[in-house]
Amino acid sequence: MNKTSWKSQLTSSLFVLPYLILFVIFLLIPIIYGAWMSLHNWDLLNPVHEFVGLKNYAKIFDSSSYLHNLFFDGLKHTILFVVISVPLLVIVGLGLALLINALPGKIKGFFRTLYFIPYAVSVSVVAIIWLWILDTNSGLMNEYFQKLHLPAIPWLTDMPWAWISIVIATIWWTIGFNMVIFINALNDVSEELYEAGSLDGANRWQRLIYITLPSIKPTMLFVLITSTIASFNIYGQPFMMTRGGPGTSTKVLLMNIVDEAFKQRQLGNAAAMSLMMALIMIIISVVQLRVSNRKE
Amino acid sequence: MQSRTSKTVLIILAIIIGLIFIVPIFWMLATSFKTDQEAFTAGLKWLPKVFTLENYQYAFGNNGDTPVLQWMGNSLFVGVVGTLIVLFVDTLAAYGLARLDVPFKKLLVGLFIGSLTIPWVITFLPLYMEFNKFGLLDTYAVLILPYSANAFGVFLLYQYFRGFPKELEEAAFLDGANKWQVFVKVVLPSARPVIWTLAIFTFMGIYNDFLWPLVTTNSPGMRTITTGIAVMQQGSFVSSPAKLMALTSIATIPAVLLFVIGQRSFIKGVTQSGIK
Repeated sequence: MNKTSWKSQLTSSLFVLPYLILFVIFLLIPIIYGAWMSLHNWDLLNPVHEFVGLKNYAKIFDSSSYLHNLFFDGLKHTILFVVISVPLLVIVGLGLALLINALPGKIKGFFRTLYFIPYAVSVSVVAIIWLWILDTNSGLMNEYFQKLHLPAIPWLTDMPWAWISIVIATIWWTIGFNMVIFINALNDVSEELYEAGSLDGANRWQRLIYITLPSIKPTMLFVLITSTIASFNIYGQPFMMTRGGPGTSTKVLLMNIVDEAFKQRQLGNAAAMSLMMALIMIIISVVQLRVSNRKE
Repeated sequence: MQSRTSKTVLIILAIIIGLIFIVPIFWMLATSFKTDQEAFTAGLKWLPKVFTLENYQYAFGNNGDTPVLQWMGNSLFVGVVGTLIVLFVDTLAAYGLARLDVPFKKLLVGLFIGSLTIPWVITFLPLYMEFNKFGLLDTYAVLILPYSANAFGVFLLYQYFRGFPKELEEAAFLDGANKWQVFVKVVLPSARPVIWTLAIFTFMGIYNDFLWPLVTTNSPGMRTITTGIAVMQQGSFVSSPAKLMALTSIATIPAVLLFVIGQRSFIKGVTQSGIK
């Protein structure tokens, strides 16, 4: 009996083994290795890596160090983008879903597909399309502004326009995904609740506030958290549309980490910055979960 | 329930919003048939004054700096192979953990699900160094393997297999089938919708990734379509909007067509993933 259960456990383990191997090599070891790197003075070109303990982290918090500015300026820009984009990604996504759901059945599918199309476009194409629509001198947008006798706007080269442009491109690109998730959730709200609401004389607005929104709260939370994480990881849009400019005002944290790692070749510093960024992302997700659960 | 006028207003609103989503793509197509010179000159010009195919000839040409078909092939290859690996290892692991007598089961489940909370940025640089150490930068391995460690699929399938009725498996075991046979003949066919969901999410994730393929490849032939275009935009096409638009049109049209055809499955997938 013992022998067969030993054998059975062995064959069962074989099912988990392939994934476990990949998990260890491409996730577990990198996590530990990354923490190890962050404790060293790790120059990409120097084969000797001096152990410096928590010094790289101390530099991030030492206001006289360039690493401090690199980290906190980048963080400031990333958080600015998160704060502007996330509410729009949630609210516009929900708004579009409500609009689609209110349309007559026959054309619902058509508009859902139409709004979802940009999601199939890759980030570099999104950036290039909007780059040339928003170009100050020959872009489509400013041509129309001129026709309406409005002044030309330096969409990509001045603040706050550079951020507005990046947010517009991001929403155009990804909003369809959030919309589809909201449409699914709206379809699951029970008809009986709406009927009861109508009997009680609730108007459309009241039904939205008191029936729809509470019913789709888990979806709202899901969209909120995934949008926050996605916005935190922003890189492609500023990299291609503004190259971090004007000045460094759209240079996001991930860009600074990449520069520190591959331009300055200071991998120890960059690894410490990565870990700090991850820590901040985890804390924000936990806070979002906590706050939304408390309201219940 | 709704009055006729409010319905009309809604439809007009839907059309206006629809234009916002589709006009930029038309603009890209229109520009791709202009000369670079015309694209630069001011004035509202929806359609090209001189219709030219030279941008497409250039993109497909043999000058070697825009192997656009190779890039699309790379993206497709990396996406498909990466997805197949994920499906293979994730279904096995999820079934093993959900149903079989795997030792340290609780520890493993906790470890895998816990890893879902770890932001990707933590592994970015150490993974780069790992591939660098083994001389695997600028290869297909670096473009495919890192995605295989993601526990999302294991989690998704684990949930599904735990709810799967035991009777079907037990009947097969009584017929003398072994674990592998039960897995292939009974369990996998039943999980087809969930597997399809996972396949679509995984493929889109790999296909759309930007920073990782950007830093881990450098030869023109190893670029994915996304990074290949980005490199051209930052490099020799920086002031050639029309050439750039031809390149982006070539990349976008097949993707959009495939997406329009496949989006029903995608939406079904979202529904089945339990993201509600």
